[in-house]
Amino acid sequence: MATPDPDKLMAKADKLTKLSFTRWTADWKNATSLYEQAAIGYRFRKDNEKAKEAFEKASKGQEMISSDCNLDKLDSPWDAAKHMESAAALAKELGHWNEVSDFYKRASELYRECGRAQPASDALAKGASALEDVVPDEAIQLYTDACVILEEDGREQMAFDLYRAATSVYVKLERYADAATFLLRWGIAADKCHAVNSQCKAYLSAIIIYLYMHDFQQAQKCYNDCSQIGAFLSSDQSRCASKLFSAYEEGDVEEIKRVAQSSPITHLDHVIIRLARKLPTGDLKELNKEEAKEEVLDENDLT
Amino acid sequence: GLLFLFHSPPPPRESHLHCSEERGDREEELKTISKMSVIDILTRVDAICKKYDKYDVDKLNASNVSGDDAFARLYASIESDIDSAIQKAERACQEKNRAAAVALNAEIRRTKARLSEEIPKLQRLALKKVKGLSKEELAIRNDLVLALPDRIQSIPDGSTNGAKQTGSWTSASHMEIRFDSTSDLVNADGMFESEYFQQTEESSQFRQEYEMRKMKQDQGLDIISEGLDTLKNMAHDMNEELDRQVPLMDEIDSKVDKATSDLKNTNVRLKDTVNQLRSSRNFCIDIILLCIILGIAAYLYNVLKK
Repeated sequence: MATPDPDKLMAKADKLTKLSFTRWTADWKNATSLYEQAAIGYRFRKDNEKAKEAFEKASKGQEMISSDCNLDKLDSPWDAAKHMESAAALAKELGHWNEVSDFYKRASELYRECGRAQPASDALAKGASALEDVVPDEAIQLYTDACVILEEDGREQMAFDLYRAATSVYVKLERYADAATFLLRWGIAADKCHAVNSQCKAYLSAIIIYLYMHDFQQAQKCYNDCSQIGAFLSSDQSRCASKLFSAYEEGDVEEIKRVAQSSPITHLDHVIIRLARKLPTGDLKELNKEEAKEEVLDENDLT
Repeated sequence: GLLFLFHSPPPPRESHLHCSEERGDREEELKTISKMSVIDILTRVDAICKKYDKYDVDKLNASNVSGDDAFARLYASIESDIDSAIQKAERACQEKNRAAAVALNAEIRRTKARLSEEIPKLQRLALKKVKGLSKEELAIRNDLVLALPDRIQSIPDGSTNGAKQTGSWTSASHMEIRFDSTSDLVNADGMFESEYFQQTEESSQFRQEYEMRKMKQDQGLDIISEGLDTLKNMAHDMNEELDRQVPLMDEIDSKVDKATSDLKNTNVRLKDTVNQLRSSRNFCIDIILLCIILGIAAYLYNVLKK
């Protein structure tokens, strides 16, 4: 069949699947192939709406096939998932954002049924990047789920990109505490796969974010916690962090700016570099006053 | 002249026996000088010098070197050291090569310090009573010892400017150890100590050049260190990336192995099938049947044509 009219194909396929008196069982195999062809035809014609529908139906057909015929079970969720992904991509072009997230989630589940974790998380990642600008919270949720899938499968290394993307979304949303927490999760993942450099970079980024939030205490605590880890303690990044802290304690703005230009920070993610360049935020003298107040309280407690 | 000679002889001969030897000699010499020629005068002068040699302390000391007098020995060695130091100082003044001059000055300084240390010892020896030495000579020795420190200090060692200025208060510290800082040309603040060096144009220029070059080297090294930092970071990232790809490669490896084995199986089966199809028996049967069909067709054609 050369390029038959997709509409005709759709009609035919619908006929095959609709249960009626003459038809007791829906012929999903044929219907699915017809749906696929129709969908391709629609896509060629740039009729996204119809194409999307066709893909949906094709995917459903694949699922049905898998549930009927056990032999195809290995392949069909895969095809179903693939069709779902295509449908989701088209939905993105159409701008049906909730459909996008639904489709990608469905595709990811199907991939997981196949037992393939990587494509599952990839599907979620694609969904998240599609939704980044529009529905950031949803995007973050998708990123987190994708990371979880990979970690369950023991492939944390693949998750680094996801962590990076999620952190940048957090920073864009100005949810810095969440960003820092996520970075610490990244550190854990890096630790599991012995990626020392990434781990130290993640910790340094977390410290910078805390300093950007002007939360010196939190930053100090973070630094102390991370210093418990031997790999971080003896790294360039921790030295840079300690230099930064001493500059803060001295209240020396020039020194802070100089440390921010130094090499360990320039090797971090560009989002973090931008934050570091903006340091110091707020008044340094306030920090010292706060510290002094705290010290007074401590003395009182002791006596 | 001859008349003098004739008149003089008789009275001196008589007094010779009665007066002290010295006085007699002197009178005799005075009277005989007029009668003498140049050679005789010279001989006479030598004789006189020999007689009065015992009043020459220097020669006395020199003659006593091999003796038991420890003071004299030490004094003699110190004297010789001072002389050699003075000679070195003169050489250093004339020396064009600054490094050699510096080395000579350093040696002189060391010698001076050593000699200054030996002076107390000498003084103690001077006060000891030695047999065969009169009270006058003892006093003389003491004076000599006291004069030595000044003599030692006056040896020029390239620091005469400072010595002049600080002569008053450094006299007390002359006995102390003086550190030789000529080997340490660079002070913390990069300034030459004017005590030890006079800056020539050459040396200050050299110094400037040295500073400039050092600065340039520092800049270059900074750039290199930055580059190395970047390289290190990139190398670490590459390392992690490769670690990430190792399990993927293993997966690809196993999958491709499976695919190749499948292909091999399929190929073998296909080969069997094709062989079966192409077997010669089938061909012969095909040809015979074809011939039969053609024969039948020809027969039919003939029949129909009729």
